[in-house]
Amino acid sequence: MKYNIVKNMSVALLYGAILLGPTGCKDFLDEAPPSNLTPDNFYTIPDHAEAALAAVYADTRLIYEGSGIFSSTWQLLEAPTGTSTTETGQNSDLNNLYALVYDGNTVHTYNEWSGLYKVIASANQVLDKVPGITPMDEAQKTRVLGEARFLRAWAYLYAVRLWGDIPLITTPQSATTEDFMPTRDPQEDVYNLIVEDLIAAEASGLPWMDATGRASLAAVKSELARVYLTMAGYPLNKGAAYYKLAADKAYEVITYANSNPGVINLFPTYYDVHSESTENQLEHIFMIQYNTVVAGNPMENMYPNFQPVTYAGPGGTGSTIPTPAFYNSYEPGDLRAKNQEGYFYTSYYTNGTEDPFELGAPYIFKHFNITSSGTVIKTQQANGTITTTSVAGTRNNNLNVPQIRYAEVLLMYAEAQNEVGGPTTEAYDALKKIRDRAQLTTPELGTFSQASFREAVWRERWHELAYEQITWFDMVRLRKVYNETTNGFDDFVGHINKSSNATLQEKHLLFPIPTQEKRNNPNLTQNPGYPE
Amino acid sequence: MKNYLLKKSKGNTIAVNFRINPTRIISNTFLLIALLCASTVAFAQNQLSGKVTSTAGESLPGVTVLLKGTNNGTSTDVNGAYSLSVPGTSGTLVFSFIGYTTTEKTFSKPGTLNITLETDAKALEEVVVIGYGTQRKSDVTGAVASVKEEQLRERPTPSLNQALAGKMPGVQVNTNSGRPGGRTNIRIRGFSSINSSNNPLYVVDGVMLPQSNQAQGSTAIDYINPNDIVSVEVLKDASSTAIYGARGANGVILVTTRRGKSGDGQVSYNVDFSTTGIGPNRPEVLNAKEYLAVEDLAWQNMAKYDPAGWAEGKYVSLNPALRRTDPRIFDSNGNPLYDTDWLKETTQSKLSQNHQLGFSGGNDRTTYSLSLGYRDDQGLIKTSYLKRYSGRFTIDDQIKKWLKIGGSLGYNNQSENLVDITDQVARQIIEDFPFLPVKYADGTFANNRDYPNAEGTMSSVHRLYGTKYIMNTQTVTGSMYSNINFTKDLEMRTVLGTNVLTQEINQSRTRTLEIGAQGTASASNSKESFWSLENYLTYNKRFGDIHSLTALLGISWQETNYFNISSSIQQFATDYFGFNNLGAGSQSPTVGSGASRSAFNSYFARVNYGLMDKYLLTFTGRADGSSKFGENHKFAFFPSAALAWRVSEEEFLKGNPLISNLKLRTSYGLTGNSEIPAYSSLALLSSTYAAILGDIRVGGTGISRLANPDLKWEKTAQSDLGVELGLFQNRITLEADVYYRKTTDMLLDAPVPRTSGYSVIRKNIGSMENKGLEFSLNTVNVEAGGFSWNTTFNVSMNRNKVLSLATSADIFNVGGPNFTNPTNVIRVGEPVGSFYGLTRLGVWSEAERDEAAKFTSYRANKTILPGDIKYLDVNGDYAITDADRGIIGNGSPKAFGALINNFRFKNFDLLVDLQYSYGNDVLDMTLHSSEDRQGLANSYKTVLNAWTPENQNTMIAEVRGTQAGYVTNVDSHWVKDGSFIRGRNILLGYNFPAALTERIKLTRLRVYTSVQNLFLIHDKEIIGDPETVPIYGGGDVFSQGMNWSSYPRPRIFLFGLQVGL
Repeated sequence: MKYNIVKNMSVALLYGAILLGPTGCKDFLDEAPPSNLTPDNFYTIPDHAEAALAAVYADTRLIYEGSGIFSSTWQLLEAPTGTSTTETGQNSDLNNLYALVYDGNTVHTYNEWSGLYKVIASANQVLDKVPGITPMDEAQKTRVLGEARFLRAWAYLYAVRLWGDIPLITTPQSATTEDFMPTRDPQEDVYNLIVEDLIAAEASGLPWMDATGRASLAAVKSELARVYLTMAGYPLNKGAAYYKLAADKAYEVITYANSNPGVINLFPTYYDVHSESTENQLEHIFMIQYNTVVAGNPMENMYPNFQPVTYAGPGGTGSTIPTPAFYNSYEPGDLRAKNQEGYFYTSYYTNGTEDPFELGAPYIFKHFNITSSGTVIKTQQANGTITTTSVAGTRNNNLNVPQIRYAEVLLMYAEAQNEVGGPTTEAYDALKKIRDRAQLTTPELGTFSQASFREAVWRERWHELAYEQITWFDMVRLRKVYNETTNGFDDFVGHINKSSNATLQEKHLLFPIPTQEKRNNPNLTQNPGYPE
Repeated sequence: MKNYLLKKSKGNTIAVNFRINPTRIISNTFLLIALLCASTVAFAQNQLSGKVTSTAGESLPGVTVLLKGTNNGTSTDVNGAYSLSVPGTSGTLVFSFIGYTTTEKTFSKPGTLNITLETDAKALEEVVVIGYGTQRKSDVTGAVASVKEEQLRERPTPSLNQALAGKMPGVQVNTNSGRPGGRTNIRIRGFSSINSSNNPLYVVDGVMLPQSNQAQGSTAIDYINPNDIVSVEVLKDASSTAIYGARGANGVILVTTRRGKSGDGQVSYNVDFSTTGIGPNRPEVLNAKEYLAVEDLAWQNMAKYDPAGWAEGKYVSLNPALRRTDPRIFDSNGNPLYDTDWLKETTQSKLSQNHQLGFSGGNDRTTYSLSLGYRDDQGLIKTSYLKRYSGRFTIDDQIKKWLKIGGSLGYNNQSENLVDITDQVARQIIEDFPFLPVKYADGTFANNRDYPNAEGTMSSVHRLYGTKYIMNTQTVTGSMYSNINFTKDLEMRTVLGTNVLTQEINQSRTRTLEIGAQGTASASNSKESFWSLENYLTYNKRFGDIHSLTALLGISWQETNYFNISSSIQQFATDYFGFNNLGAGSQSPTVGSGASRSAFNSYFARVNYGLMDKYLLTFTGRADGSSKFGENHKFAFFPSAALAWRVSEEEFLKGNPLISNLKLRTSYGLTGNSEIPAYSSLALLSSTYAAILGDIRVGGTGISRLANPDLKWEKTAQSDLGVELGLFQNRITLEADVYYRKTTDMLLDAPVPRTSGYSVIRKNIGSMENKGLEFSLNTVNVEAGGFSWNTTFNVSMNRNKVLSLATSADIFNVGGPNFTNPTNVIRVGEPVGSFYGLTRLGVWSEAERDEAAKFTSYRANKTILPGDIKYLDVNGDYAITDADRGIIGNGSPKAFGALINNFRFKNFDLLVDLQYSYGNDVLDMTLHSSEDRQGLANSYKTVLNAWTPENQNTMIAEVRGTQAGYVTNVDSHWVKDGSFIRGRNILLGYNFPAALTERIKLTRLRVYTSVQNLFLIHDKEIIGDPETVPIYGGGDVFSQGMNWSSYPRPRIFLFGLQVGL
């Protein structure tokens, strides 16, 4: 009996030890994520600065991503212009953008807002963490910070033009940050930050052009010209002084281009505007980069609705196609309206490489990738016969999305310089270069008044920069809209879009603050005219 | 010493031997009796023989016959006969048999001694498994439902969850794919969580399974051979689940697997063969002639819906006459050469087979079992299959008087081709043009894209044969335990469990399917290793006839490690390799890997107290620590209490001829939910950013997750009130429960202002309630003359409501697929995941032309015309916007359950198992593509009822080519009444009589045949099966009740044979 007690006691002790023993290892519940870095163990060497900057470049694609079925976020900037329409009714948010009955629930507004602020947050991360990296080559550090500031300015310029007063966030955020639930800051403060960022970027030692697609000095200067031009017009109305700043800044680029025509220039053909082989060069001063190793071109909603224009057969959605009115507003003989030679096409080759077929209507060729879709090359033989050769598509749509073309710089200069003191020879030459390429004759300089030159430049902007997400900002900045029927300009408020017969109202000068964002941040107020 | 053991054995009968399952009682009884008699000495031999029968006159085989006070014994044979040599001429024989009162009979001379055993009401009483122990059903204070082996065997299924469907009230099992092994959605008492898992915790033989997040939402339980499972208990109320603390909030499913028995060795062989057919209510689509007529009309109507475009000649090229020129498809007059039924072409009726071989045996000390399984399921859809090889071994040994050890080791190897991994095949079955052949004369596949200006899709058959998604899963589950009895009242159990799950997912798509990528292939591999170690002490004591006490105290550690690696590539010169030679691909190679770890450390205790077997009280508590939570909240405590009153034990009811059992019970407690991804509380950077610079990929590192050091458990407080009633000697039994569950501190990826650069923060915020009623009734309707008829009826009603959320914002983007507008909403005051959309009033009539034209165009910039869909304009602004959307339905049933009738006549048995669901809505997203648009692909036959000037009273817009403008929205027309009654299983079986089986040396021979999913009674508006939900985009729990291109549910015809020897 005694033996039993001793045995049981010892077993009890043994198990008592097992029961309580391992509680000693307090690390058992600690967490150390093996597949993620944390802010505490990163940003220590120069490579980290480059990786952090790469994240900002990666984010620039966000505002081109999908927004529901058959639609993309960028259509926010095309559908309300009235220059385009759709061949499908699948996406009710897109329908509402066309019909000018969008509101804060329209998913495109939320995606655009989120995408832009994501770029800003990633750039803020670079600007906050990289200065602390030591040792690091100063030139490299300055360049990294310069590129980050350019990208932050790029994002803020979109945002401030879309929504007006917006939260100005300049430092990394955590749930306990003071401005985690920010209020809207005056838009002038936002413009000031943009200018400040771009001036800093201008001094960061960037090369004039960068073939890899990074921010370049030409990109910074052109963006700065764009900011000044915007500030000169609505809503800040800073007037002549800013037109001069814009003209001067654009002219810096033009001066460089004139002396380095092999570095910055207009492309000789419109084909080069949407060719994979001419990206980040000459006319393309800044582009959002695409390659199917990461992401393919996001503009295929401009391809016709289920017509077999590519190797893949019937694949497009046609949710952004030209209105007949806008297509017909090009001057007779304008090369830009010529099938497959300009910015439009009315026929193509079946499945990219087979028999040609009529599309039945004009479609946008500006973002059409011939290299990936496949094409047919016609060659005239010595005896006059034409032979055709099919060139198979690469199937990888690696086309970039243009942000700043030299054509826009020329037109910015022409417009701004005209506002400073009427049309000058340089301003006239800038406009003429654009028209010459379109094989259009330009009336003599002497035939223009300041007012007629102004409208000539605007008209050229509409026709040269169409479908590049620029037209909407012109409409807002000028409070004028091109009227395809009169070939003149209507006031923004009261203009009737040819696409939908809907009328632009005062409220449309600003987009609604996304409802979802307002709900998550009660400190935000809605823009006038939109439901809370 | 002998005396001590005797007492101990009595104690153990309740405290130890009941621990695992009733079958072990038998073995332990043998064992103890043998121990009792260890010291007996043999004398001269005399012979005793006789027959043991039941009060009903049936002979009882396997009855233990023992000479009292000795270890001299035997057992009866199949005829109930025994023969025993005894040393003297007088003594006492003890007859014992499970379920019968142990009876002693004295003898005074050798010879014949027959005996009749009476059934023992107490011993027959059901024993149920509870967390960390077992209990007599009558002692249970919580809501516990249980399913026994014979019920599990009624429908041979590849997974346990499928077998559980309809067996228990409060447990909703939806099989979400008709694919063999198709995953299930299982909910115990409704939804308790928005962002975290709603899956219950599975505990197999006392070892918790990890809540894996494997491909296709599968969990470790999907990879356990259901044939190895002999009983399942589902713990529903807080009193039963609180012992599992932070993992108990969604209910707990306790699984007991087969163990060996001492005595004669047993061999069993079960086999079934089955084949599939297209299930009830197949979706009807246009045939070739109908389609072409609709297309003609659609083209003509473009003139009406886009007069300007028509005038400009925009649609000339779409003229059907120009499209129908392909000599492979049309004759010279443009008439179709084929009329293909694509559902028929994509389905098969192949033979499936399932073989299960089992061995078990043992002696007084050691028992073992060994089982082998092979399953080959050929799915209804061609090329889909599930193959499983499994093996399992268990051993139990009473190594010392005070020490018992045992273990089990199981292995499963499962291979599946998941043809419904995307919506593409099921969607194409509907949308493939009926005028296309499956293949052209040259052997190439015909596809919709061959027809000009159609949607450029590949055919369903082409996709089936061109796509592989092979998932190979191997699991090793093992457990070891030791039981130590310190005294007769105090025992300690230690269980070491492990579960290693390795999963390969290999995919490939051919060059003709992936024309852009020129063939794709990928291979990935993941491994999840889980181990747990639990120690607990159980003290069990009865103080006279008044007090009984069971106390439990334990500690637990668990750890899960996960690692995965994946790679993919494109562009192959040949389809030969599939995924077997990734190096042969030449473009866009990708690689990836990831790892995570999570751990629990817990302490738990329980006290059960019984007063005079009438008043029962239970207290439970568990302190859980989890690695997943914030620094400030690693540990939390989950208590519960329950009270039961066995009214039928009171004097005033004892011996009542009507009421044989009446128990009232109530409980309250807290449980938790911790199933969020590891590292959710930390600030994380992501290194998966990819910039493109110089046309190459440049990896980036940037912000990813906001820190929340205060992150803690989701808590569910539940109260339950239950009654158990037995009438007429339990010929009628009834069990009913009402409950109220409130979940607070919901783990939510709460949206944050996007100005921060982040989209969400993992937070505890918001609350939700579930209240419900469960009712089950079992009756023996007839039992006479070799005929019996039993009925089981159960019904569950649950009502869910969201009480509060992180912000006033509704939560969208749940459910799925969200390709048009948000389909579901989580809104305060409404059931979670309600359907959300516009209200379709009908179609604008000619008489309403002017009114329709007042609307801002919601049809691609074209004026709204008679023939366009008419929506309810809620705010009267003549524009159809999000302001006009609202809640239009809910996928949760108002009531669901089963009605099961069992008939037995002599050796025949018949089972009729009906499943029903009432008040659940179905949101049929397929109407978007198969009713709302024409000319791009085939449509449902319902478009024959589309609007025409002669047929204006309809819900379906006039047909037109899509380019001329049409509209599609998630709306009330897509919401249908999904109530149904399903003939789930009709089974006819025959047991060969013992006289015959003995002659061929078998102990059991049974044949049976069954039809599953025989019929469906449903609303006539429903297209397809109302119970099916999407996998594509539907991993989301709130997609239940949504129909989007899912694997059709087959009808299954089965023949089976069970042999025992």
